Amino acid sequence: MASFGEKAAGGTGKWVDDRLGSANFVRRSMNKVFPDHWSFMLGEVALYSFIMLLLTGTYLTLFFEGSSKEVLYDGSYTPLKGIPMTAAYASTLDISFDVRGGLIMRQMHHWAALLFMAAIVVHLARVFFTGAFRKPRELNWVMGVGLFVLGLVEGFAGYSLPDDLLSGTGLRIAYSIALSIPVIGTWAAFLVFGGEYPGGQIIERLYPIHILLVPGIILALISVHMGLVWYQKHTQFASPGRTENNVVGSRFFPAMMTKMAGFNMMVFGVIALLGGLAQINPIWLYGPYDPSQVSAGSQPDWYIGFLDGSTRLMPNWELRFWDYTFSPNVLLPTQVLPGVLFGLLAIYPFLEAKLTGDKGYHNILDRPRDKPVRTALGAMAITFYVVLLLAGGNDIIASIFHLSINEITYALRAGLFILPIVAYFVTKRACLSLQRFDDDLLHHGIESGTIRRLPSGEFVEDTVPLPSQYAVLLETTPERKELAAHNAHRLEGAQTAVATKPRGFFRPKGGAPKDDQKQLES
Amino acid sequence: MTDSIRDRLKATGEDAEQTTPVSHGEHPVGDPTVSTHHSYHAELDPAAAKSAERAVAALFLLSVVGVFGFIATFIFWPFDFGEKNFEFYTPLLGIFMTLALCGLGAGAILWAKTLMVDEETVQERHHLASADEDKEGAVAILKEGAADSGLGNYPILRRSFLLANGALGLLVVPLLFGMGRFQHKEKVMATTGWRKGSRLLDELGRPVKLGDLEVGGVKSVFPDVPGGRRMADSAALIIRMRPEVLKTRESRKDWVVDGHVAYSVICTHLGCPVKLYEQQTHHLFCPCHQSTFDAADSAKVLFGPAARNLPQLALAVDDEGYFVAQGDFNEPVGPSYWERKPHYADKVK
Repeated sequence: MASFGEKAAGGTGKWVDDRLGSANFVRRSMNKVFPDHWSFMLGEVALYSFIMLLLTGTYLTLFFEGSSKEVLYDGSYTPLKGIPMTAAYASTLDISFDVRGGLIMRQMHHWAALLFMAAIVVHLARVFFTGAFRKPRELNWVMGVGLFVLGLVEGFAGYSLPDDLLSGTGLRIAYSIALSIPVIGTWAAFLVFGGEYPGGQIIERLYPIHILLVPGIILALISVHMGLVWYQKHTQFASPGRTENNVVGSRFFPAMMTKMAGFNMMVFGVIALLGGLAQINPIWLYGPYDPSQVSAGSQPDWYIGFLDGSTRLMPNWELRFWDYTFSPNVLLPTQVLPGVLFGLLAIYPFLEAKLTGDKGYHNILDRPRDKPVRTALGAMAITFYVVLLLAGGNDIIASIFHLSINEITYALRAGLFILPIVAYFVTKRACLSLQRFDDDLLHHGIESGTIRRLPSGEFVEDTVPLPSQYAVLLETTPERKELAAHNAHRLEGAQTAVATKPRGFFRPKGGAPKDDQKQLES
Repeated sequence: MTDSIRDRLKATGEDAEQTTPVSHGEHPVGDPTVSTHHSYHAELDPAAAKSAERAVAALFLLSVVGVFGFIATFIFWPFDFGEKNFEFYTPLLGIFMTLALCGLGAGAILWAKTLMVDEETVQERHHLASADEDKEGAVAILKEGAADSGLGNYPILRRSFLLANGALGLLVVPLLFGMGRFQHKEKVMATTGWRKGSRLLDELGRPVKLGDLEVGGVKSVFPDVPGGRRMADSAALIIRMRPEVLKTRESRKDWVVDGHVAYSVICTHLGCPVKLYEQQTHHLFCPCHQSTFDAADSAKVLFGPAARNLPQLALAVDDEGYFVAQGDFNEPVGPSYWERKPHYADKVK
């Protein structure tokens, strides 16, 4: 007997299907299989943060006024009463003090932006180190890099809007960076700002860019990004039964879908907690923008920090020839460097395919240790980035640790070139040792805990061949397959120490039950 | 339970997106080591299932509590700035919103992990590249269409079509240039609000007199012109130090009055205001990128990414004892730009 609910659902389904033929799509997509791994959830964090940004951002647009028109503040925040300021700043104060729930929306919006960028960076690292960017997924990698850059632009545009002292300082820096472009710099800066700084146009222009143009592009790119994941099917880690030609995991409906929706709510919840309890960007403490004022410890949002760092580390090179000025001290760290970094990032999949000659399809992920050069390159890039990020906070480091800011800067300048090279070699060696550890497992098996005393008086510990569930995980190269096959006969008749499902990311978790004391006594 | 799922899957069996549940005994990929995920539901005994259900329901109810807490706080908690306990308004909203969201989220996850059937399933991947005949067919259609369009047969049409398309792009150019006001870039960039005889006004608009500053004192000053206080390029800093510590260059001897010097505060690196003055060392420090200038020696660069001295304002004292500028800064203020001429100001004078 079909219940009323089933009838209603069936009726609606038929109505829609008669018009759209949707049943086929529903059947296929609800049955879609997704491999499960914690690291696949990093991109989801970025997605959910973005949804939160759209929700909170839409609410904020109801109150924010993107205008540099001067007004006298007449809101309820008494310390600034009667002070002249732009409508943008005044309306941000109103959101913070005169709109019920406005402050939490503002703070959630800001936290969601920080989380969005952080999730993008970590997701990018996951995709890089596991080789998920390889054929056929290069396009999605390039789109991801594009989303990263757009996120930077969007974030910068967003925190520039309130027109407080901090954001105005950031805008002035952006204007000055535009000035440094050879030949057309002054033109570019004047066009964007509407004239010599402050130009009187920039808030009005950034506002539609921030709430319509860039988020629209991001939304479109995210849709295609996820559509491709769906269409090309997700990558998976090697595991028994998983091949390049299948996907092993959970069906989308219902368990996977429920877990994803639940995770979505959890990410929202964390943003709500941060937005409620962790104060961020208290613009009323900074005061309205005044071109002649600045506060010590001026810091951009974290994702701009690496560019601030590169700018701080750069020596003061400037060239004059004939009647013209060329400023590598600004141009190199603020425009050339990010251009090269993001350019290299975007073409990496093609470079790697070219250099390794690997043109094949890859649906099984690499373990980072199995690709020592790639992993080492990644470590190198991360080190470079972290040095720049530290340099972006050199004044904070100096004041916390009571160090000389000049010495920190000199040290980081050297570190920017030396540390990535060190990281490369250390990581590569670490990968090779981990590989040897795997070889050792395949070759000698795992410790059994059984200690034997030889007639000579020497103590030795017996090893047990690696159970096949583990061994298949390690047979990532032809040589290893051979090694495993060579040792297969040892499995025969040997006691199987562990027969549970293999778990663990970096190496199989669990091991032979150890009871050394007991073994020694017997 | 498991059987009904098998049936459901069987029904989709002829589909291209074939799915097969994995379990011991069946080896769909021919691997003897295939393991299976737990089918959680099947493992739960009725009592355990009941307790899992209660835990999930508790979390969902917690979510409802969060929603009502949020609504109550939103309406009833003191909100206006300065009211008693108003500072807890936003944190309380955050806590209740978190309860509402995380209760629902955690409940859903627990539900999926304990009570839902979640069998490990194998699905074949379809080959992404098209079949050769499709590729050839696509190329043939495109070629045929190109031929049908006649672009190849009519050279004048082709060229004029390309020309018209290229020209269309030019529409953007005037619109782009319309974004900025037409200004004499060199002039607006190189000049500020300072004029010969402009008094130095402090932040409250009072003129600064000789003797207002103690030795070691500094003051932000602005030109005595309409709107001078808000001019982004005109802010200056007047500093008084003992005359003997000033290393005044010969050419700048006349710019100094009794140990008083004045410099532009706009950093020559990226335009931040350089206003952190260190009395002992006479250093001016930019908080943005740490460029450091020597106020005792023509504000020359001591450290950091700035390449040029801060421009100096030549000082004098008028009949009434107030400081005045002898003219504009000695150089264009602020960051470098392509057309920058160091002595533009001289030419204008």
